[in-house]
Amino acid sequence: MNFDLDDDQHAFAAGARDFFRGSASPAAARAGLEGGALEPGRKSLADIGFLGITVPESAGGSGRPLLDLAVVAEQGGAVLAGPSLVTAARAAVLLADAPDLAAQLADGSTAFAVLDGSVEGSAPSVDAADATLFLGLDGGALVVGEGEVVPGRPLDATRGLASVRLTSRRVLAEDAGELWARARQVGAVVMAAEDLGGADRCVQLGVAYAQEREAFGRRIGSYQAIKHLLVDAWVGVEQLRSLVWWAAWAADCNPAELPLAASAAKACAATTFERAASTLIQVHGGIGFTWEHDAHLFWRRAKVDRLLLGDEAEHLDAVARLAVSGALGA
Amino acid sequence: MDFDDSPDEAEYRSRVRAALQQHADELLRLAPGQEAVDARLQEAEMRRTQRVLHDAGLVGVTWPREYGGQGGSLLEQAIVGQELARFRVPALINHIGMGMCGPTVIGHGSQDQRDRYLARLLRADDVWCQLFSEPASGSDLAALRTTAVRDGDDWVVNGQKVWTTLAHVSDYGILLTRTDPEKPKHAGLTMFVVDMHAPGVTVRPLRQMGGQSDFNEVFFDDVRIPDSERLGEPGEGWRVALTTLMNERVTIGGAGSAIGSPVEEFARHAKERLPELDADRQVLARQAVGRAVVAALGARYTGYRRLTVLSQGGIPGPEASAGKLAGTEAAHLMADAGVRLLGDDAVYAATADGDDRWQRTQSWLPGISIAGGTDQVLRNILGERVLGLPSEPRLDKTAPFSAGRSDGGTR
Ligand SMILES: Cc1cc2nc3c(=O)[nH]c(=O)nc-3n(C[C@H](O)[C@H](O)[C@H](O)COP(=O)(O)OP(=O)(O)OC[C@H]3O[C@@H](n4cnc5c(N)ncnc54)[C@H](O)[C@@H]3O)c2cc1C
Repeated sequence: MNFDLDDDQHAFAAGARDFFRGSASPAAARAGLEGGALEPGRKSLADIGFLGITVPESAGGSGRPLLDLAVVAEQGGAVLAGPSLVTAARAAVLLADAPDLAAQLADGSTAFAVLDGSVEGSAPSVDAADATLFLGLDGGALVVGEGEVVPGRPLDATRGLASVRLTSRRVLAEDAGELWARARQVGAVVMAAEDLGGADRCVQLGVAYAQEREAFGRRIGSYQAIKHLLVDAWVGVEQLRSLVWWAAWAADCNPAELPLAASAAKACAATTFERAASTLIQVHGGIGFTWEHDAHLFWRRAKVDRLLLGDEAEHLDAVARLAVSGALGA
Repeated sequence: MDFDDSPDEAEYRSRVRAALQQHADELLRLAPGQEAVDARLQEAEMRRTQRVLHDAGLVGVTWPREYGGQGGSLLEQAIVGQELARFRVPALINHIGMGMCGPTVIGHGSQDQRDRYLARLLRADDVWCQLFSEPASGSDLAALRTTAVRDGDDWVVNGQKVWTTLAHVSDYGILLTRTDPEKPKHAGLTMFVVDMHAPGVTVRPLRQMGGQSDFNEVFFDDVRIPDSERLGEPGEGWRVALTTLMNERVTIGGAGSAIGSPVEEFARHAKERLPELDADRQVLARQAVGRAVVAALGARYTGYRRLTVLSQGGIPGPEASAGKLAGTEAAHLMADAGVRLLGDDAVYAATADGDDRWQRTQSWLPGISIAGGTDQVLRNILGERVLGLPSEPRLDKTAPFSAGRSDGGTR
């Protein structure tokens, strides 16, 4: 047994961290709420190759495992990067038999979004707000088409949420229910990875502030009420990291375990990120409640992500059903 | 990343399985639904079980060969742990000896002590206990009052220990005492090996909230301990105790082993019980089951990550406390859901057909949040030693212990 990233993956993570720190930030997420563009944006992500990590080499991608993508996604999550690698990962699964479209996904020449719910009027879907080509499930068939986009007022602008009604459609595959489900599970794993990055960053920022801010003649981190909040958030992050890695590994190496692992990771991500972000605000006191402070940008991401690709209740239910039907093994 | 056994690990695992099969008749095994055995009732069988396992090479896997161990790896140890659980062998009678006392003797004992004690400990020829906590010092262990006073070649011990697990069946214990009350509290302590059969040692059982009696109070009245039974130098007892405590936190939930029932067993229980609930209750119960399974899997895979780091030569550090916290939380969630799945029987101490495993677990878990470092103390350790947060201001670290005694130090 060996449950750790390998040297390549560690190097990959370090490279991704540098890239994302230089190209995205909570400040950009704040600007997004007032109409600013997503950072780093689709083109930069395509140029550095992140949109094609799991796209086959024959279609212009790198043909790497999902775990590599998850490691990168965590770094993007730490700075609230957009668009989401969830879309890239999910579309790569759906476009496995459509290499021309997969190539446009990888090189960023087409802005894809994957629609949740009905193609006649979708649920709010990630990265749909500025997408031009949509993938959806239409009565069991995988379809691609153009659409009419209806964004809502954003709670978290970095997710680019919008509802879409397809105005044209072409069938890519009949009977695509299973493929669709797997793509959604893969998307859930990547979103959990982005949430992991965000939650981890919240703990780091909270710890840093608790080490310097003083009240009643002591640094606030010496008060157990603050210390224990941060510890609980950190312990949660460590559990989430394990579940994200396991789920990504399952997608690559043990697909039978993916449904359980993906739901476990996504359910854990929902509560862990929310708790970490709330903790970040609370530890900061008044300054943490201001528009100028970054805390609310993580909080916004957490409040939105917990409901996307299935909320906690849906995934807990899935975990329970799978566990009682033997998914844990003997 | 790879969760499968390597060829070497697979071969080792099959050897372990074969050894268990071969000795099946000589081993104590848990009945379906049973999660522990009572050392008070089955001491002889428990000692025999550990001896048989030892002679089959399955005890002390990571210990040096010169002390009766196998000189094996942590992963081999983990494999043995998994296979013992699969084979329904209950926790070994000397789990405290192996987890805490033995490593302390290895780390701080004389060669003579190691030679005399360790191999016998692994075979459960001698059972060991840990005599640290006292009525007035649990979390604040260094506030302990049991005294040891030098008298010729001996030390004379007086005082009381409490919550001492397995003291009623123990032959030896590691005993933390105060030898210099004029020093600050952490500086005046000394550790000994004490013979539990020595004159002046009295063990009285204490009954736990669930009704069982796994722990005791232990009285020391003019008990003589030869100086050769000291562990470490006089005044160095705190450093020696830290070895024990670090091992304790690794032992409890540190490397992916479940605290309480394994999640697979919980899932089987849920499978049996869910269909018997009303439809609308099933929806709610599945939420609780899912939450418990997610927590258990999170703790398990985090344990695998720790195990990977340790097996590649990493040093066990304070992060182990996170494993105990998360494992305890998962165990609480499983026990709570496990009991509630029983429907009307959840308000009784057992089901109508006498099955009490979930109720017993429920009434045993509060102790796990206390034993081996309370949840709060573990959070302090993690906050200060892992996250680097400032410690609390302390008033008790520098003054002589005798000056801080609420009774004026006159006892
Ligand atoms: C099942 C069981 C088995 C045990 N087995 C053994 C054994 O074999 N050998 C042995 O020596 N001991 C044993 N113990 C004792 C155990 O180590 C102590 O009970 C434990 O350390 C707590 O000490 P205490 O009971 O004195 O509680 P206290 O230390 O008095 O704690 C009371 C409460 O105060 C809180 N508290 C204390 N200090 C702090 C702090 N600094 N910050 C925040 N909160 C704090 C605690 O978290 C707790 O909630 C066992 C206990 C149990 C329950």
